[in-house]
Amino acid sequence: MLNLTPFILLAPLVGFVALGLFGRALPRAVIAMIGCGVVLIGFGLAVADLISMLGVAPAQRVSDVTLWTWITAGTFHVPFGLLSDPLSAVMLLVVTGVGFLIHVYSIGYMEGDPGYWRFFAFLNFFVFAMTLLVAADNFLFLLVGWAGVGLASFLLIGFWYTRASAAAAARKAFVVNVIGDFGLLIAIFLLFGAYHGALDYHTVLGIGSAQAVAPTSVASGGVLLAIALTLFVAAAAKSAQLPLHVWLPDAMEGPTPVSALIHAATMVTAGVYLVARAHSLFSAAPTSLVVVAVVAGATAFFAATIACVQNDIKRILAYSTMSQLGYMFMGEAAGGFSSGIFHLVTHAFFKALLFMCAGAVIHALGGEQDIRKMGGLRERLSGTFWLFVVSGLALAAIFPFAGFWSKDAILGAILQRATTGGSGWYALYAVGLLTAGLTGFYIFRLIFVTFFGAYRGAPVAAAHGSGHAADARAGDPLAGLHRPGLALMAPMWVLGVLSLVGGALDLPGSQLLNDFLAPAAPSAIELTSALFWVSLAAGLICALVGIAIAWSRYGQGQAPAGDEVKVGALVVFLRRRWFVDDLYEGAIVRPILALSRGLRFGVEDDTLEAGSQGVSGAIGSLSAGLRGLQTGFLRNYTLTLFLGAVVILVYFIAVSQ
Amino acid sequence: MPLSAFLTVSGVLFAIGALGVLVRKNPLIMFMSIELMLNAVNLSFMAFAHFLDSAQGWIFVFLTLTVAAAEVVVGLAIIVSIFRSRTNIDVDELNSLKG
Repeated sequence: MLNLTPFILLAPLVGFVALGLFGRALPRAVIAMIGCGVVLIGFGLAVADLISMLGVAPAQRVSDVTLWTWITAGTFHVPFGLLSDPLSAVMLLVVTGVGFLIHVYSIGYMEGDPGYWRFFAFLNFFVFAMTLLVAADNFLFLLVGWAGVGLASFLLIGFWYTRASAAAAARKAFVVNVIGDFGLLIAIFLLFGAYHGALDYHTVLGIGSAQAVAPTSVASGGVLLAIALTLFVAAAAKSAQLPLHVWLPDAMEGPTPVSALIHAATMVTAGVYLVARAHSLFSAAPTSLVVVAVVAGATAFFAATIACVQNDIKRILAYSTMSQLGYMFMGEAAGGFSSGIFHLVTHAFFKALLFMCAGAVIHALGGEQDIRKMGGLRERLSGTFWLFVVSGLALAAIFPFAGFWSKDAILGAILQRATTGGSGWYALYAVGLLTAGLTGFYIFRLIFVTFFGAYRGAPVAAAHGSGHAADARAGDPLAGLHRPGLALMAPMWVLGVLSLVGGALDLPGSQLLNDFLAPAAPSAIELTSALFWVSLAAGLICALVGIAIAWSRYGQGQAPAGDEVKVGALVVFLRRRWFVDDLYEGAIVRPILALSRGLRFGVEDDTLEAGSQGVSGAIGSLSAGLRGLQTGFLRNYTLTLFLGAVVILVYFIAVSQ
Repeated sequence: MPLSAFLTVSGVLFAIGALGVLVRKNPLIMFMSIELMLNAVNLSFMAFAHFLDSAQGWIFVFLTLTVAAAEVVVGLAIIVSIFRSRTNIDVDELNSLKG
């Protein structure tokens, strides 16, 4: 079997280095060609890997290539090894495939930005770090990739670094992500102790070994639980789960392609990947899966409720992403690890498309993000509108769009788990159904308010005096609309088709993805069982009810209430995001700032500074006194010399007697 | 003559030289005073050498004379260059090197 993973890693790295070193001097066309080309090469190699993987028996679909040894200390070895197995193959295809489409989209979206080369260099760096994350064959290199994507995220959120809000959002994302990195580091220490220094997936997770060692025979239940929970801390921070979710909505300060690539399709799903990758550890500590289920269910519901009242087009999608990530974790908690990955894949298609559509709308309106100032864009942006509807239907899980099959595979897995696991799982299933309804509501609220009714915003300024003058009519506020070009639309159409047919990966009866992932990520549900059909129907009904409510309230393009309108306590509660951000502000940020201020003025100034000032002051005054001795008068020195000689003479005379 | 007579003369010469160094402002006179002090010391060396019947005193005198000659050369060179740059060699006005 072919293992081209090193070259998949190398391609974006070459792009990053080339653009980072020489990008400033290159023309834009060359920058775009390098930036997109290297990712396309990576995608081609990933496809070649997949084809060769499909050519061998499922049991032999694991290949591990060691490039060199990174660390050797006594008996401790960390090789730089890259793993190719069904799970990493799927992840690599998503990262490079969706990544390539978003790179192409960026050509159009970032057109005219002075940081063009920097943007593509960072994007390539992100793709490199993400491929390292999913292709690493040990936990230490997982951590390298994990921190790498965090860095890329930081750089790209703060891409427009002259905006104070973007810089603050980048800092916030970095700080919260470091909490996750810390969790992963603790997990690595615990694994190091439990497995006597072995950190490779082969030993720890039993990937590619004939008889895997059961984790329960290696470590006690408490240690396994601690490992699983610290891994989940890492996953929760990266995938914006409660209570470490606060960075993701703010991360929308970055350019829209970044939101699509990093904060919707790939990086935020790293946590889902980690849980699926380490499923044997989670399964060995069942309590940890209960924790995952509770956190994921709470996040899915929490984020969906907030998405219902937001008015910023990108923030709605950010909360939606959190909610969908919650779904993926719910599926994994119920044992449907392959269902979680399936939803990860389809979500990458339709959520990237949603962000691209949102980006096209923002681009068309010259930077406007508030949906209250939109409306009536259906005819003017018909292509974007239809793609928005397709991806919205996929998100809302309507038959036969991609999200329908993947989300209901998750709900089915939870229902299956509930039949044996008890009432708690039924509650989780109910939360899942409720969230499905909310999902249908918020996404179609967004579509109706944006595209239906009449345009409510200020007139759009014409683009740089170009050809728009021809169709400019008096009194038409949308005369200056910037229609999305081919570079924006082409990747959107590709993702539109994928959002429509992506469910074919794992239809009941064929189960392509499920069977392919089976050695790496087990599934929980037989997709042909009667239970599954019941679950499908229930999920569909909930989503349709949500869409119907959205239609009744916003179907004519009514604008949602603005901040100035008096609203009920519930809406205030949701608008303030359940007061979680305020709670963090009050309980963590302010006390730390107060403590820092106290240390700065009380300890630094009054104690340390005063002490060092005192020492230097004492030495200063001493030397000022001594300086008086050096008068510059020769006779003073001579006199001192003679007096000294006299003193010595007198001393000797006194001693001799 | 007893040793004390030599030493008395030597001590008086030394005191005169020291006083000269302290009170005069002209560096040339100060040099002459320093020479006087050196020679006072030479005299006491010679006296001791004679009365103790030892050659060490002689050797010290030769050494002192050599050093004195070198010192005069360096000192005069300094004085000449000061004179060239300031046209004045009053030591009380050479006080810019101070704390």
